[in-house]
Amino acid sequence: MTTMATTTDRATARRALATGTLANVALIAYFVFSLLPVVFILALSLKSDADQTTTYLWFKPTWDNYKTVLGSDGADTSYVRFFIASLVTSVGAVLVSLVIGIPAAYAAARYRFRGSDNLMFTLLSFRFAPELLVIIPLSVIYQQLGLYDTWVGMIWVLQLVTMPLVVWILRSFFQDFPAELEEAALLDGYSRTRAFMKHVLPLVRPGIAAVCLLAFIFAWNNFIFPFTLTSSNAQTVTVSSLAYLGGNQVRFNLVAAGAVMAALPPLVLALLIQRYLVRGLSFGAVKG
Amino acid sequence: MASIDVRSVGKRFGKVTALEDVSFSVDDGEFFCLLGPSGAGKTTTLKIVAGLVEPESGTVHIDGQDVRDVEPTHRDVAMCFENYALYPQLNVFDNLASPLRSPRMRMPDAEARQRIQHTAALLGIDHLLERSVTQLSNGQRQRVALGRVLVRPARAYLLDEPLAHLDAKLRATMRAELKSISGGDTTTTVYVTHDYVEALSLADRIGVIRDGRILQVGTPTEVWSAPANAFVAQAFGKPRINLVPGTFVASDGGRTFAAADDAFQIPIPAVLGDDTDVQLGVRPRDLRLHIGAGEVPDGQVRVDGSVYVAEHLGRHSEVTVQIGRSRLSVVVPRAEASRLSPDDKVGVLMNPRTVHVFAAGAEGKRVTP
Repeated sequence: MTTMATTTDRATARRALATGTLANVALIAYFVFSLLPVVFILALSLKSDADQTTTYLWFKPTWDNYKTVLGSDGADTSYVRFFIASLVTSVGAVLVSLVIGIPAAYAAARYRFRGSDNLMFTLLSFRFAPELLVIIPLSVIYQQLGLYDTWVGMIWVLQLVTMPLVVWILRSFFQDFPAELEEAALLDGYSRTRAFMKHVLPLVRPGIAAVCLLAFIFAWNNFIFPFTLTSSNAQTVTVSSLAYLGGNQVRFNLVAAGAVMAALPPLVLALLIQRYLVRGLSFGAVKG
Repeated sequence: MASIDVRSVGKRFGKVTALEDVSFSVDDGEFFCLLGPSGAGKTTTLKIVAGLVEPESGTVHIDGQDVRDVEPTHRDVAMCFENYALYPQLNVFDNLASPLRSPRMRMPDAEARQRIQHTAALLGIDHLLERSVTQLSNGQRQRVALGRVLVRPARAYLLDEPLAHLDAKLRATMRAELKSISGGDTTTTVYVTHDYVEALSLADRIGVIRDGRILQVGTPTEVWSAPANAFVAQAFGKPRINLVPGTFVASDGGRTFAAADDAFQIPIPAVLGDDTDVQLGVRPRDLRLHIGAGEVPDGQVRVDGSVYVAEHLGRHSEVTVQIGRSRLSVVVPRAEASRLSPDDKVGVLMNPRTVHVFAAGAEGKRVTP
């Protein structure tokens, strides 16, 4: 009896190990596959002008591209300026979206009022309507209002990207959140605002972290708005790389170097809030 | 401390009518139980009193004041939620301290600490004060939720099934504890429960609610011995009251109840109204078994049937007797039932003075005085 049980246990264990190994092999294969573009861009950013059109990974690496992009060899330093513009407009857009979006999401989750569904749908439509649809009137309006090529203008227009994300994702967080907790706080003698600040906000921190990252990435990666609504002051890194793809010369290696550096802020942010991220993404976001 | 006056309150959620013309009043310092099955509207009623749900019609008066425009924060009532609603990011102590530290109360730290210690000791959770509420068992959470109410002075306590998740032994202890607390300093309390034993043992008065309507309000004695209708009669007592459908037939000197299947008849001494389609209600503990051919005691009626099943419940047994098409539960001492086996011929003794008669239907009105 005992021996039989042990053999069965062993067989089960062996099978579990086999499935585990198989799953891991598959995951590693997928990991390598999905990492390929990243590796390719990294490699390209280290290639000299002579190597830049090759695809092989055996070459003599050089930091020259980074130096050129950052302007350390006395050339144009605009990349740093564009980088700062990217940072300011993306962070600004996320902050504005949070300040307005958190109360909006809370209200949308807790109160039904006339037209609340339509309002939410309109907000969502900003996400699925192509940006090209509004870009021409928008650029005319911006020119007339003096918002063209300004940080404020960029932050404002990026709300089209970040606000729907913040409101929709956080709304589903607030909906999952038991209303009884706030009700208990109200009866404990806290005002609605204090109940919200003290008992709701701390508990949706994972959601806010996740939504921050997502909104930041979307704002940071946005191309069409800075492309059409800025020229120099508020131009962002996504657009600035175009300068290396000129009419008379094409410098893919410089584009790659710029792209690698541009990928750093979202990466750093993701690492910083990693702790909240998994819970945040799996809890509310999938339903948003 | 204050009186609570709920006047013809109505509430709908979409197409569902949650409450319909609900009225009751709770006197200052009274312990009032709302008893009803789940979905009856008990929690909604409580939340309307607390101000968390707005009624569509009717008013709530606390201490004689219409509180329509008073925010929950300013109603000065404490509520214990059925799902506890403990703050998960705080430990037990801070949960209990929450109402005391609120901008409304701002109790000095030393006094708050003393109150929390006292309440925690009372509820047997004083060893858990530093624990996070997420680490507690359901029974412990429920006691913390109850503690968050009892720790503070309030005009009224609203308790939503505060003992539902405790195990049977603890529930009995806590019931006694609650009784002594409410006896000591008499804070007006509205207590929601689906357990008739809790209601009978705790309440000064009980309101029986079903499908959003209050069916009867009365003292435990009143709802037990003079239930207003068949539903209220069924709400109290285990085994449940026996209901036998039948009709009134005229007889000399009063009326006689005849079972629908003509299995038996029993004279009813006094009847109000003139319903003829009725049902007889008789509690299992008001029935006796009469085995053999002995003499029927004076004033009692013997009904013949056969044993359907006998279940032993400790000191007593519940014997179900088949009489015609009806089955009557009879509670008898265990010794008496141990000799019985299914299909044995037995007699059941009914006392016409302890039976109730209701009009036909689930909520048939009581027609005996």
